[in-house]
Amino acid sequence: MNFGRSKHPTRVPSVELTPMIDVVFLLIIFFMATAQFARLTRADVDLPIEKGEQQPIPEEAGLVINITRLGEIIIANETVSLDDLADIVDDEIRQLPDRDPRRVKLLIRVDRLAAAGRLNEVVTRLQQRGVGVARIATEVPSATRRR
Amino acid sequence: MIDVTFLLLIYFMVTTVLAKPEDRLSPTLQTQQQATVDQAGDFQPQIVEVVLLDGQPAYRLGGSVFRTGPELSEALAALPVSVGVFIKVFDPVPVGFAVGAFQAARDAGFEQVTYVPGK
Repeated sequence: MNFGRSKHPTRVPSVELTPMIDVVFLLIIFFMATAQFARLTRADVDLPIEKGEQQPIPEEAGLVINITRLGEIIIANETVSLDDLADIVDDEIRQLPDRDPRRVKLLIRVDRLAAAGRLNEVVTRLQQRGVGVARIATEVPSATRRR
Repeated sequence: MIDVTFLLLIYFMVTTVLAKPEDRLSPTLQTQQQATVDQAGDFQPQIVEVVLLDGQPAYRLGGSVFRTGPELSEALAALPVSVGVFIKVFDPVPVGFAVGAFQAARDAGFEQVTYVPGK
């Protein structure tokens, strides 16, 4: 009886683990970085529930101004006063190539239950600096979210 | 180690997608110079006042009072959009209600929506 070896040796399928681990670590680092960045600029506030302009957002705002329900102004995770806000906006204007205050990009995230008086004070300071447009963030209702 | 790696990956993926989707409204801000020029000319702006009436927030357009955004939007839709609209917001009104006025103006087709802080 010929118990010779088969001409076609069976191949045991195997998974290359090393490149898969590299990819997984890259994904982890990506999500860690994006999650940390979002927490730094966006405070936990309940935004007004409106569908917004529903236009594609071309780029992120340069300066994010958060206003809490109690009227606190928070920028980059720090509570600031109106005078500090004015100084920060002036710094943003100075960093622009043409120093045109109308080109300052900023986003105001204000709690829906905050009194409008605080928002008025912030907007007045921005007006005094010559800022032309104030983008007000809204929370998109679930029924009207863009696909 | 691979199990720990996958757990970390799933954790950060879940925490990232929990952020609520946001959009924005972009009213223009009237500077002091623009206010002077507008007052000097024949321009009669269309003004929506966001105020408290009888303890409740309301939108006032001319002599009419509206309590909801859709009602205001319907009234604004009958106005000419080319001259724009000014939204004047007064202090004690909640921001959520005030922002509804901007949304109503956008829904009515206005491109020029100006935020005016009320005194």
